[in-house]
Amino acid sequence: MDFFERQDKARRNTKLLVFYFVLAVIFLILAVYGAVALIFTGAELKDDASQVALFSWTAIGTMGVILIGSVSRTLALARGGGAVAELLEGRLVNSNTIDLNERKLLNVVEEMAIASGVPVPQVYVMDGEAGINAFAAGHTTGDAAISVTRGCITILSRDELQGVIAHEFSHILNGDMRLNLRLIGLIFGILCLTIIGRILIRTRGKKNPLPLLGLALIIIGWIGVLFGRLIQAAVSRQREVLADASAVQFTRNPAGLANALKKIGGLGEGSHLHAVHAEEASHLFFADGLGKKFLSFATHPPLNERILALDPSFDGKFPTVVTPDSPPPIPSAEETAQPPPMPTSVPPPLPVVPLLEAEMARIAPHVVTPKRIVSDIGRPKTEHLRYAIDLQEAIPPSLQADTRDPLAASAMVCAFLFNHDQTARQNQLDELAGVTSEAMRQEAIRLWPAIQGIPPQARIPLIDLSLPALRRLSPEQFSQFRAAVNLLVASDNKTDLFEFMLQKIVMRHLETHFVPARKQVTQFYDLRPLTPECGVLLSATAYAGHENATAAHAAFEQGAALLQRIARSDIPWLPPGHCDLPQVEAALDRLSQAVPQIKKNVLNACAETVAADGVIQEREAELLRAVADSLDCPIPPFVQPPRTHTEI
Amino acid sequence: MSISFILLGLILLLGFFVLIFLIGGYNALVTLRNRYKNAFSQIDVQLKRRYDLIPNLVETAKGYLQHERGTLEAVVAARNSAVTANTRAAQNPGDPSAMKDLSSAEGALGGVLNRLFALAESYPDLKANTTMMTLMEELSSTENKVSFARQAYNDSVMAYNTKREVFPTVLIANIFNFGPAELFVIDKPEEKAAPKVSF
Repeated sequence: MDFFERQDKARRNTKLLVFYFVLAVIFLILAVYGAVALIFTGAELKDDASQVALFSWTAIGTMGVILIGSVSRTLALARGGGAVAELLEGRLVNSNTIDLNERKLLNVVEEMAIASGVPVPQVYVMDGEAGINAFAAGHTTGDAAISVTRGCITILSRDELQGVIAHEFSHILNGDMRLNLRLIGLIFGILCLTIIGRILIRTRGKKNPLPLLGLALIIIGWIGVLFGRLIQAAVSRQREVLADASAVQFTRNPAGLANALKKIGGLGEGSHLHAVHAEEASHLFFADGLGKKFLSFATHPPLNERILALDPSFDGKFPTVVTPDSPPPIPSAEETAQPPPMPTSVPPPLPVVPLLEAEMARIAPHVVTPKRIVSDIGRPKTEHLRYAIDLQEAIPPSLQADTRDPLAASAMVCAFLFNHDQTARQNQLDELAGVTSEAMRQEAIRLWPAIQGIPPQARIPLIDLSLPALRRLSPEQFSQFRAAVNLLVASDNKTDLFEFMLQKIVMRHLETHFVPARKQVTQFYDLRPLTPECGVLLSATAYAGHENATAAHAAFEQGAALLQRIARSDIPWLPPGHCDLPQVEAALDRLSQAVPQIKKNVLNACAETVAADGVIQEREAELLRAVADSLDCPIPPFVQPPRTHTEI
Repeated sequence: MSISFILLGLILLLGFFVLIFLIGGYNALVTLRNRYKNAFSQIDVQLKRRYDLIPNLVETAKGYLQHERGTLEAVVAARNSAVTANTRAAQNPGDPSAMKDLSSAEGALGGVLNRLFALAESYPDLKANTTMMTLMEELSSTENKVSFARQAYNDSVMAYNTKREVFPTVLIANIFNFGPAELFVIDKPEEKAAPKVSF
């Protein structure tokens, strides 16, 4: 099953979910009605009219409580993965952090993000949790967040942490996240009954029937929670198996994940979570966070089974896990009265070192077949991970540090848009003065020499790495930044491919963070109404790789043939003036509202067009990347596939 | 019977709406408060970098500025008091007294550093020293990052304070004791003239 099929499946599962939920609500309404009837009117049956009135009022009341609870929770989580992480008491990890454990965590996440072609998600740590657990949440790959417990980063080794994070990335790539968020909302709605019950129990008054009602509500609510657990379990159990398998495929290191699971078994805390809201979100987590329950309510397969699937030689004995010493406490007020001594050895400032050509030769693009391009979407392989790690090592430390600071990252993006011609660049700089602060301009000038030497293949990963720092801009700083980017792109009066791609990627992923996102409603289930847009896209793709109009046309024909068969109508070939970047942008907006299968076909066609001459040029790679990104399909970097006969 | 029942239903419904409103307002305040505390941690990282660079600077300059011990010692002292003020503020970001202390300590440090740089102008040997040049370059870059992070922090503090003072969240803020947060302002007595930049 490829990425697109999984997306479709996830959408179908949502419908199943809603069905179970409706069943649960009906049962609860009946139960509440029964309780109310017993408490308020005794067991005598009154006349029909008041029975009906009673029933309708309890039905309305119960449904109201559940719906309001669900809707309020869903709205609160609409802000994206970060909202879920904060709900579960996570703390956003500073991209600039100097804590070694956090640094290790961020590096692992960054490698995985580059390897999968996903923008680096926000990373949170649950400080109050000593156990080992993690989750990923969000609506799209653009607003995803990964949260791990304190135990994860202090107890697990790098390999084991990599296994856990790879597991979480598979959830992001499988499209599970949106389903999960909806689940949280629904379960919270059911939980609301128990909350009201608790409030009612505390009411006072003689001959007050309310506490009894409260008790009844609590009991009924608990039964509702069991229903909720059933739903969570049905949805999450097989996905956990899939995620484990994908993680191993990704890292090619089953031992890492297996050892992490073994450590959970050996740790006293295990994967237990203390957070107040852990119950609603238990299906999100890497391992069972609530403690042993009856098998049908378990959201995860048993630990032993999971370990055996990864490591058949497992003998059932868990290693004893020693938690490392707790970090030194923050000094109290009295201790800070004396000034701290001057440090004797201070790390020297990082020199600005340009990216070496030799290093980058390791990561040059190679010939890829169109089939591989599309089949790799959402399913990164080990060679992508190796590539990402190599790339991280090739980028000089000062530049890496710059991607992690908000000011330096925004200046870096601006520097990417500087013109290579000196007078034009001077103009751009002068124009910038009106829009941004002096500090930003100085940073951009400081970074220009290093940026100028960046090989094309490294530009996209550097942008991906800068996104977490850019998310830390304040809303006002973000609008300044956006104005600056638009100004720089428009300044030379023609937008080239790279600028277009940069603008789209940066703005799309940042806007989901700063501007409440419109719901993306699927509007197109058939390819035929989209044939004009396909024409625009394929023509632009063909022109991107071929100077010669006839060669471009030939490439276009290759891709169009694919779509013509599916749409059973012609795809129009357009002259250069009609498939410029504004038209491409409009076409992509419409195409992004299509079902996953259509997106797959469109991307396939683009890949065929690009591969028609056998080589992926940088321009073509950039355009393909921009297209896949706009359609919300994570496309891994283009790498040399491993030679099969030397595979280990 | 049925009227009292309807009344009960209505009261419950009303109560629930009030609850939702309370929860919503409380969550909004908590979110905004966490945001500005987070924004402070961004400033913190850059300030710490600055504090770490200064001893290096003093060591490098010591050899050349043997007769200017007073200035060098003033730099060290200002740096140390800024470090203590920063630690205090980091434990409680936004707290008015802690932020005011940090503001004044940072302002003092900035002033004394400027004196040092002005002094270095009249020692061409020191100015030509490569370590000195890299250090000053790095310090100025960190300076920029601090002011950028400060701007982001102040933006989030504004958002929080506004939410706190606006009706109806002001009621919730008073019930749950959400105190005001303090902006991070540094008085710059001399405005640096915008340098003429060219490639």
